[in-house]
Amino acid sequence: MSRLSRFRAVGWPAHTHPSSLWLIAATPPAAVALAQGGGPAAVTLLTALVTALAWEQIFATLRHRPPSAHGAVTALVVAVLTPLNVAAWELGLAVSLGVVLAELVFGGRGFGFVSTPAACLAFLGFSFPHVQLADPGAWVAVASLPGAALLLVAGLVSWRVLSAAAAGFAVTALLTTGVLPPGVFVPLTFGAVFLLADPVGASATNPGRWLYGLLAGFLVALFGGFDGETAPIAVVLATLLANTFAPLIDQIVIAVEVGRRRRRV
Amino acid sequence: MTAEAAHETRMPERVALTGADCPGVRPRFAVEQGQRVARGETVFVDRARPEIAFAAPMAGTVARVEYGPRRTLGSLVIAREERDDAVTKRPEDVRAALLARGLWPAFRTRPFGRIPDPDAVPDAIFVIACEPDPAAPDPAAVITQAGDTFARGLKHLTRLTEGPVWVCQHPGANLAPVSDRVRVSDSGRRPAERTAAAHVHRCRSVADTGTVWTVGYQDVMSVGALMETGRFDATRTVMLTGPLARRPRAIQTVAGADLRDLSAGEVTLGVRGLRLFSGTPSAGRQAAWLGRDHRIVTLDATPPRRRPAHRTWLGLRAETGPRPIIPSDRLDHALPRGIYAAPLMRALAVGDAETAERLGCLDLLEDDVALLSPLCTSGADYRPLLRRVLDELEEAR
Repeated sequence: MSRLSRFRAVGWPAHTHPSSLWLIAATPPAAVALAQGGGPAAVTLLTALVTALAWEQIFATLRHRPPSAHGAVTALVVAVLTPLNVAAWELGLAVSLGVVLAELVFGGRGFGFVSTPAACLAFLGFSFPHVQLADPGAWVAVASLPGAALLLVAGLVSWRVLSAAAAGFAVTALLTTGVLPPGVFVPLTFGAVFLLADPVGASATNPGRWLYGLLAGFLVALFGGFDGETAPIAVVLATLLANTFAPLIDQIVIAVEVGRRRRRV
Repeated sequence: MTAEAAHETRMPERVALTGADCPGVRPRFAVEQGQRVARGETVFVDRARPEIAFAAPMAGTVARVEYGPRRTLGSLVIAREERDDAVTKRPEDVRAALLARGLWPAFRTRPFGRIPDPDAVPDAIFVIACEPDPAAPDPAAVITQAGDTFARGLKHLTRLTEGPVWVCQHPGANLAPVSDRVRVSDSGRRPAERTAAAHVHRCRSVADTGTVWTVGYQDVMSVGALMETGRFDATRTVMLTGPLARRPRAIQTVAGADLRDLSAGEVTLGVRGLRLFSGTPSAGRQAAWLGRDHRIVTLDATPPRRRPAHRTWLGLRAETGPRPIIPSDRLDHALPRGIYAAPLMRALAVGDAETAERLGCLDLLEDDVALLSPLCTSGADYRPLLRRVLDELEEAR
């Protein structure tokens, strides 16, 4: 048994929520975005944090349930992709809608079917015409790599989804534009790890993860992922659409497996 | 995996046949408290199927006879006596011998995990000589140590079925010569590929139709010994292990042994709070007696006290409610290839028997899903959830 799979097999004790790992992973890119944006970025981050955690607390109190710390992760991810010209009330409204409608009404993290930060960012992008999501830049991409590695090793993010998404994006980009400069992947890195590969929205079977990743990569390219300016919103919309198809993909994978099993006997 | 077999025999003072090892059996006792029994003597039969006899694993005096809920078996305890006399009778027909001499209950049906009917003929028999847990004794070493009783037992098993007898083993030298009736199925690398379910699912899935039986390799050795010598032999090789085990090692004992007797003098000195497990803490059960399917005895420490009830950030009391199943990658390593973990766990969690059946849950028994619980964010124990769904499906047949 290799060292990696032993780590996976052991996992962590039951009853421990992996939110803390997500928080560790999302902190470096958020810190870089904060350092780049200065004061306005701090206001953005604080607004997102307060809004997300307040809703977690309200729902926890209403349901007599322990609150989850995952609202903080959502806030960090949203803050990285939020442009600095967004007013605090606009961001607060978008985060409220996203957190409540994509996660809390279903019962909390893990009970919904779409990525919560993607929902927040989609509300932000659609509700306010002047908002164009921020290009996170190369340093954020670099800062998200250690977290990505952590989540990959812990099995919280699927390497199948990430590889298939990269392949789907590359093939579509090559077919439509004919060129594929390596730089186009940089603005997509952060979104791919924290939005596309979120296990809550992605497919739940291994063959399904390949199909889901391919579809997501194709959609990112289709929505303009190879232009730095439209890349963030392309990832957000591709995530929402691919999330919607993920259960269907799983159903197809299971139907194929059942058919194969019945033929074998 | 320990390469060597056991060099030491520890006979317990008491052994028991317990209800946990006789699923669905309501006993009709053939002995009463205080009566002397020889090794291999019938102590009770199944009330519904009186052909199926249960035998005393060692000679002694019946110390206690207890019913469980709804007239099932609670436990039948036998206290050892010095004189080890055994019933000796040359068997002829293998099926009749296994039924009458107490080895029939070694078989389990898949689906559902019951003791098979006396006249049933399975589509295949799976001999489980692979261990999901690396702490278990090495089956190859145990089989080699006992000479050719295993091979002889296999030969007799082929008379119970018209299909193949699969020997499920770790990769390496074949544990038995392969023929058109006896076949070998090598396990994969992961613990989940070493469960009985992995072999059944791959070689003869019962997820849609058919019935197969599984039987442990040490029971097959008992079959070989019974058919050869005419004596009932319930010898078991188990590993004494766990955080409190002073000298972890394999020992020989008998089926149903008193775990306190096995662990006496084996506990690290100066430590309190010993908990004895038949099997491992995650895949076995806290028990007083060695279970039929367990080759590990864990001497575990009492766990640290649970944290007090959750509180919300405002200090209000909160109840623990249902927790989500987050379908992360690592869950897929906990079930055999071809059975999708996250969809099955969701179906089991809500008791959706129809979906669970479609996903292949009939190939599984409780022990096969034990690996899921420590990996799942929901903290649910999937063994009782699977049992509930299996019972529902069995009733519908």
